[in-house]
Amino acid sequence: MAYNFKTLKVLVVEDNQPMSDMVQSLLYAFGAGEVFTAKNGEEGFDKYVRHTPDIIIADWMMKPVDGIMFTKKVRNDPRSTNPFIPIILMTGFSEKKRVIVARDSGVTEFLVKPFTAKDLYKRIAQVIERPRQFVKTIEFFGPDRRRKLEEEYKGPKRREQDTSVQAPLINPNKYQQAKNKLSHEE
Amino acid sequence: MTGCGTCSIRVDLNHETQEDQNQSPLFMSTNNDNHFNQKQVRKAEFIKPPNTLKAKVGEGGLSEHILAKAQAVIEENSVDFLPIGQKHLSALHEGIKTAEAQRGNIDPETLISAILYPAMQLKANGGMFHYPLVSVVAGRLIQFLEVIHELDDASMEIVDGFYTALRALVVGQVKGDGGKSGAELYDALNEACYRYFLHKP
Repeated sequence: MAYNFKTLKVLVVEDNQPMSDMVQSLLYAFGAGEVFTAKNGEEGFDKYVRHTPDIIIADWMMKPVDGIMFTKKVRNDPRSTNPFIPIILMTGFSEKKRVIVARDSGVTEFLVKPFTAKDLYKRIAQVIERPRQFVKTIEFFGPDRRRKLEEEYKGPKRREQDTSVQAPLINPNKYQQAKNKLSHEE
Repeated sequence: MTGCGTCSIRVDLNHETQEDQNQSPLFMSTNNDNHFNQKQVRKAEFIKPPNTLKAKVGEGGLSEHILAKAQAVIEENSVDFLPIGQKHLSALHEGIKTAEAQRGNIDPETLISAILYPAMQLKANGGMFHYPLVSVVAGRLIQFLEVIHELDDASMEIVDGFYTALRALVVGQVKGDGGKSGAELYDALNEACYRYFLHKP
């Protein structure tokens, strides 16, 4: 048994045509039935209402309506056909403060560019297998933002890690070595 | 917004009673903490939507064969990165020029953003279109920009260094990891960042 994506409808909202084509090709390679595309959040919302997709994959930086505003509209606009729809936000940012902004807009999953086919698949599998409950308060409507922080876990890590290309963080040993070297020079 | 009437669970935070909290001496009330005894007004509704997606696609995931075929779409793409890279390099250059001219007149966050966003675009696109070193170098520039407090002379010098490196990689069409020279270039930029943070922790 395997997933059957034949009836799956996905909306890709991305202003960069080569990237949009790439994501569309990946989804067809996964077996998706229909992939709709839009060039920004404004066009994306119209297509979302018209085609009622099952999943949305949206870029962050777009004009005139970016991925964050688009997400808020899908979650809160009275014309929205399915405010619970999973939204995967693609972006080159990976810093925590950016993830928090995305999370607070109602995004379901975060996909850091550049990514591999497996990275995209993992996000899709995540929204299928582990859908998040929704929270409605006066200020917020969207997927439950509470998630266990990974850094709280101190034991061995056995899960396969993402393969996205990431610049390594500053190596503290090297930092210390450089500091010692500099103080010696001074 | 309409919710799912059949599966919604309403949670009223007012149900958290003072009685429970007062069991511990830590929660003993004093005359000075009356504000803690006010009635809570926020309410959160938790909704568990039906998993229609799962019902639609079934079980079992995708095979390694399908994932390998999809990965080949990325690895064999023939997109010309040069015009994409040059567009974002121009925006990066504009951002740097604006920052140099407007330091002190415009708030640092706005000036940093004008450099940060094109750097993010270079990071996002490089690795997707056969230029992973562009992504790594631009990613390091983003990390640097995300933590500095101001665009002073020292930080602008480092930003200029990153721009020169990224321009060389894009215009010189350096695909892949750039080999030994690529590693040396990245190390040199990293070293510059270390030195900056030694003086401005």
